[in-house]
Amino acid sequence: MSLIAARDLSKTYRMGETEVEALKQVNVEIETSSFVSFVGPSGSGKTTLLNLMGCLDKPTSGVLTVDDTDVSKLDTRMAAAFRGRTIGFIFQDFNLMPVLTVYENVAYPLVLVQKTGARERKQRVLDLLDAVGMADQRDKYPYQISGGQKQRVAIARALVTHPKLVLADEPTANLDHKTAYRVIDIMKRIKNELGTTFIFSTHDQKIVGEAEIIYTLEDGELVKGGVK
Amino acid sequence: MLDLLKIALRNLLRYKRRTLLTASLVSIGVVFVLVFISVSASFKHMMIGQITDSFLGHIQIHRKGYVASIDNLPLTLGLNPKAFAKVEKALNEMPEIEAYSKRIKFGGMFSNFMETTNIRLNGVYPDDEIKTSPLLLSRITQGEKSLQPGDIILPELLAKGMKVKVGDTVVVIATNRDGSVNGKQFLVSGILESATGPGGRDGYIHFEDAQEVLRMETMEISEIAIRLKDFTKLHSVFADLKESLGAELNQQGKPAFELHTWEKLSPFYNIAKMIDLMTFFVKLMLMAIVLISIMNVMVMAVYERIREIGTIAAIGTLPGKIMAMFLVEGLSLGVFGAVVGNVLGVVIIFLLDAAHLTFEFGRQKGLLLSLNMPLQDVFLISTIVITISALASLHPAYKASRMNAIDALRHV
Ligand SMILES: Nc1ncnc2c1ncn2[C@@H]1O[C@H](COP(=O)(O)OP(=O)(O)O)[C@@H](O)[C@H]1O
Ligand SMILES: [Mg+2]
Repeated sequence: MSLIAARDLSKTYRMGETEVEALKQVNVEIETSSFVSFVGPSGSGKTTLLNLMGCLDKPTSGVLTVDDTDVSKLDTRMAAAFRGRTIGFIFQDFNLMPVLTVYENVAYPLVLVQKTGARERKQRVLDLLDAVGMADQRDKYPYQISGGQKQRVAIARALVTHPKLVLADEPTANLDHKTAYRVIDIMKRIKNELGTTFIFSTHDQKIVGEAEIIYTLEDGELVKGGVK
Repeated sequence: MLDLLKIALRNLLRYKRRTLLTASLVSIGVVFVLVFISVSASFKHMMIGQITDSFLGHIQIHRKGYVASIDNLPLTLGLNPKAFAKVEKALNEMPEIEAYSKRIKFGGMFSNFMETTNIRLNGVYPDDEIKTSPLLLSRITQGEKSLQPGDIILPELLAKGMKVKVGDTVVVIATNRDGSVNGKQFLVSGILESATGPGGRDGYIHFEDAQEVLRMETMEISEIAIRLKDFTKLHSVFADLKESLGAELNQQGKPAFELHTWEKLSPFYNIAKMIDLMTFFVKLMLMAIVLISIMNVMVMAVYERIREIGTIAAIGTLPGKIMAMFLVEGLSLGVFGAVVGNVLGVVIIFLLDAAHLTFEFGRQKGLLLSLNMPLQDVFLISTIVITISALASLHPAYKASRMNAIDALRHV
């Protein structure tokens, strides 16, 4: 059984009179523990697709199951709870909480999303900070560290709840090349260690090469894809 | 430790100046209200004490109809011995009553043998009167602090105007209820300072002298002034008294007595009521200040942090938690403002009290304002401020919790 299954998935945005078909009849299955990338130019529908897979939005038509759950059947609260349990998010702009330290940012989901015992929480946070190489910066605030470091902290935060799926929408778009590779590399290593499924989108052809499975989107349609 | 309170406090510290400004506004409001309440309450209590302890007493009993024509001191509306005996019995049965004094009040002519003027007099038994109006003695500024038969204590304005001094002999002439005129010589034994309110400029003679001047065969009492042991029990004692005496009927089947608390007898009661009203509006103003300033800050806080809200919503923070986060923030601001304001307010009240402020009211000078710590008000104001801060944060917090994660994340 695949972790994600999309069947004729469509999403249409309505803005007054005009309609934008952001996704058109997308069919895709993603297996557990895979390292998947969606590529395509700006406006091709990558963010829309990832938002649907992340239970942040609902499809206009078609069926989408994530971890055996029909996403369109979840109400706002249930979707939030589902995300908190099952999905980790990495954002293009890192989106760390500016008032929290590196350590606290990573610990946040274990305090305010899930409830984890203090000892286990500490262990998990420190392990992940170690894994992303940020343990020595744990007491710094986001404004005191670089973009690449922020994204490494964000990766730790996304993984701290041990989610089955991590979604990263253009995680390297705001990073220089070297840093981008480093970030993708960390994600890949953790995927191999923990068996987490990673899905990231990018329009950077060079970064795409790091993915194991690549799907290409064009004008909302899945034009090409599969194992390399 | 990482929890809602910590995040809220860190966010408040993030905009130090704004937080400080809002908290200061709340604090200043609290200080103002606290000091205002304290000063106005002590002014009120002191004035009430002055009035009741100088001459009014806490409760007065008259024959039905007397108070309506109290300005002309009617002699036809007195209580006869039988009626007084009933009142006396009722009063003696009530342990809450400290003392009472029967008075014969009348208006007459006053002469220093050269000039003549009007005078209003109380005929009293000095021991009872002093127990009922304990400030009376302190109002005697010259002469003896006592009243013997044949003595008269004159109000200072009258003594001054008529150029009469302690030790002088004067004459009081009065018309009794049957219309016959009688006069009596008195020795001026003391001069009395004026007090605020009606009756504050009356003279005093001995009860028996009053009976003599008015040629009363049996005593006819104009007024019985009553002092309670505990002023705060005024209304319950009054109700009890009214129950025991209100049922007494005269020969015509109408109520025989009328009872009044000081409130119905002194115009200061209206000032006291106005002070209460002002206090209420000042509290209302504080509520408005807290509501507007905290709501303003929280609306801004939510607006500035839309992307953060989107982030925490996306990673699975439940709406209730997001709402709580902002509620705690607004509440913390209110609590901080309330605590600082109350501490400052109490310190200022303490300093004002230590400064021994005095003021003048009417002809009374050097009244000492003694402020007490308004613990009850501190509690009340804190409750108001904290409740209003929660209310003010409610709407912004709710909006934050209902935000759509995608829209919030896209917000620039
Ligand atoms: N909320 C929205 N309302 C209207 N149109 C939208 C909205 N979000 C995305 N779109 C449109 O949908 C299409 C796909 O956008 P998106 O999924 O963001 O693409 P990508 O992430 O690949 O750049 C674009 O044409 C975009 O303008
Ligand atoms: Mg995009």
